[in-house]
Amino acid sequence: MATVQVGEAEKVYIMHGVRDDLRVDGRGCEDYRHMEIETDVVSNTDGSAKVSLGQTDILVGIKAEIGKPKPMVPDEGYLEFFVDCSANATPEFEGRGGEELGVELSNNLYKVFNNKHSLDLRSLCICPGEHCWVLYVDVLLLQCDGNLFDAMSIAIKAALFNTRIPKVHISEDEEGGKEIELSDDPYDCMRLNVENVPCIVTLCKIGHRHVVDATLLEKACSVASLLISVTHKGTVTCVRKLGGGSLDPDSIFEMTETGKRVGKMVHAPLMELLQKEESLGRERTKVGFLA
Amino acid sequence: MPVDNKRVRGPEISQSPLLFLPPDSQISKVSSSSGRQGARGNGDIRPLFARCGLVSQAKGSAYLEAGNTKIICSVYGPRETERKDETDMKSGRLVCDFRLAPFSCPKRGAWIQNAEERDLSTALAESLQPGACLHRYPRAQVDVNVVVLENDGSALAHAVTCASMALADAGIEMYDTVLGCALRQDEERCLVDPDLAEERAESSAENQGRVVVALLPNLNQISGLQADGEMREDSLTAAVRTCVEGCHRLYPVVQQAILRAVKKKAAPPPEK
Amino acid sequence: MAAGFKTAEPLEYHRSFLKESCRPDGRDLGEFRPTTLNIGSISTADGSALVKIGNTTVVCGIKAELAMPTVDAPDKGYIVPNVDLPPLCSSRFRPGPPGEQAQAASQFLADIIDDSNIIKKEDLCIEKSKLCWVLYCDIMCLDYDGNLLDACIITLLAALKNAQLPTVTINKEKDLPEVDTQHKRHLHINKHPVSSSFAVFDDEVIIVDPTTEEESLATALITAVTDEDDQLCAFHKPGGSSLSAEKLHDCISRAVTRNREINKLIDKVTKSIKSSK
Repeated sequence: MATVQVGEAEKVYIMHGVRDDLRVDGRGCEDYRHMEIETDVVSNTDGSAKVSLGQTDILVGIKAEIGKPKPMVPDEGYLEFFVDCSANATPEFEGRGGEELGVELSNNLYKVFNNKHSLDLRSLCICPGEHCWVLYVDVLLLQCDGNLFDAMSIAIKAALFNTRIPKVHISEDEEGGKEIELSDDPYDCMRLNVENVPCIVTLCKIGHRHVVDATLLEKACSVASLLISVTHKGTVTCVRKLGGGSLDPDSIFEMTETGKRVGKMVHAPLMELLQKEESLGRERTKVGFLA
Repeated sequence: MPVDNKRVRGPEISQSPLLFLPPDSQISKVSSSSGRQGARGNGDIRPLFARCGLVSQAKGSAYLEAGNTKIICSVYGPRETERKDETDMKSGRLVCDFRLAPFSCPKRGAWIQNAEERDLSTALAESLQPGACLHRYPRAQVDVNVVVLENDGSALAHAVTCASMALADAGIEMYDTVLGCALRQDEERCLVDPDLAEERAESSAENQGRVVVALLPNLNQISGLQADGEMREDSLTAAVRTCVEGCHRLYPVVQQAILRAVKKKAAPPPEK
Repeated sequence: MAAGFKTAEPLEYHRSFLKESCRPDGRDLGEFRPTTLNIGSISTADGSALVKIGNTTVVCGIKAELAMPTVDAPDKGYIVPNVDLPPLCSSRFRPGPPGEQAQAASQFLADIIDDSNIIKKEDLCIEKSKLCWVLYCDIMCLDYDGNLLDACIITLLAALKNAQLPTVTINKEKDLPEVDTQHKRHLHINKHPVSSSFAVFDDEVIIVDPTTEEESLATALITAVTDEDDQLCAFHKPGGSSLSAEKLHDCISRAVTRNREINKLIDKVTKSIKSSK
């Protein structure tokens, strides 16, 4: 993971601040940094979104392709995640340096989405056992300043919301052979229901307290963090302890409680924002990458 | 797919016979009415068999059997670290390699380590790390190799226990043993130490999931926590509590096994 | 003192024992280490066996899958043996793709299976040019203390004997196979090859069943495989010091007696499992 070196005195300073609910950048323990979201930023994908959270910058592109359903679940489509750690984000990612982190991040994404209600995978089925939509979710890290998971999950949710899958019609000829026909009308497309897509909240244990949305600096002061993915209803779909330290059972309970509360609060404004952006339609001025 | 020419290859495509079973004999759901196998209560762990020091070539090793789940672990080192680029050389590294034998699951697995195994390796390392005094081994690495010979559920949890026994057997300095316990939540039912059928059973319940906890029993610290599925926060907390209890229940067996190995090693040389 | 001698001058240390016609672990030159066998202990495999020769521990699990036969041999199934030496079994092996030794062992087993016809591959055919069984024989070493090949062959043979395949019929309507796990059958074992490995010290002394240390000090290694009819199936001597025909003959006759012992052991363990059921 991208890391920074922190001196002992600076650590103590950060930890004392956290103890008094005042962080280096002026936030409280449960506050997120300023967040910017823009969808439909890459025109050659079926859905995309760019999220910047403080100095962390993430781009997500989704491509829908027709594939074969997995033999165990013939009536469902599936998602594939790939996280690319660009060397632009940090020199550490140069060459194969980012590979390990990328695999770790994508593995966790699989876990977060590995349940029945996050996304209706049945709606991705075209013809049971033969054809289904495969959504390739490609995450690109453009800049890392901590809290990659939270930013990633929000970007994925926004990109899924933005995704438009062309409608297909299956026609059968006389001999029973099936043929897939793609709709000619580019506006005749299917949208995904992203209501249940979870958001990840990562809590970093610093001293005796925990903080939301830790920067790299703050992360360096913490030995263990807890990743919690929460749906808008407050259902927890995934929990992972990350890092080499251990946690007190009581603080785990406190952290899951906070995680659920914070996670639930993220969803409503996010959906509102996404809907608002869409209602602007084509009039919207695109900000792009230079914002 | 790259061709694996370092192994004897079979046909390009082969399918497990399990895919062609008559539809009615498919794996059943977690039925709430029927009890667990072997008249086990929902909160009971399976009888545990644990031994240290079986692999003659290793610095330390352990074998663990819980029901049909069979896990073997060996520890090598501390030896010189292979990775020189690490910035933090002040403390040692714990390198974990978690493998499922190809014949360990109902469906045959590949020899090449897949993403799931790599994921489990990381989870194992993060669970063990808080238990080991790694600062005592600067510039060194300790290798922990785990092979699951038969997976009948709760593999990660038992792998954690087994690995910490092997670390102790290898004489690696530790703050505490690390114990693992798994749980399957299905609506209001909590099944501790689930077997594979319980672990993988399909469930349409709103509140269901899988939890794995790694615990340092004496320090009362949780060193590993994984939960998947869809759980309410209150049942998640309850599940973690139940897992902690489960860990404490297997502690005596683990202690005994380690003690036995120590006694064997410390036995005075026979008089001549 | 003895320990120091062993580390400083391992070869001299061994020589001093061999002079007295015995070995550091107390064995005679022609003595195998105690061999124990455990059959059918892995229930997720269709057949399994665990063999211990002294410290060396090897486990074999057989998984059967369905596939199409090749065009060249439409009435034959496949047997795919693979040996893995994971980093678990010794510090000399690293994680990653199989090393030379593992590859050589896999190929050796594949050759023995093909040449000596342990199982007639025709028996694995379900329907000609349509469907056949693939037996994946995955062998894993858990503790490496020399004489890998002997252990691998014993575990392979025992696991094959233990293996049971479900009955498969082809549904003519759907053209799909149907599997019945209620009715299982054992495989017919056509031949029972067993190997014996030897190490040559100082170009002349031959010892049986070498440990890792003996293997590394030896000037040549020999493996002889014979079947139950006292026929030689395979003979493996990858380079090393030359030996007289007479000495090789001794090795083969030792292998013949070893074959009897091992097959007796396999039968005994198989029977004890059946009676305990």
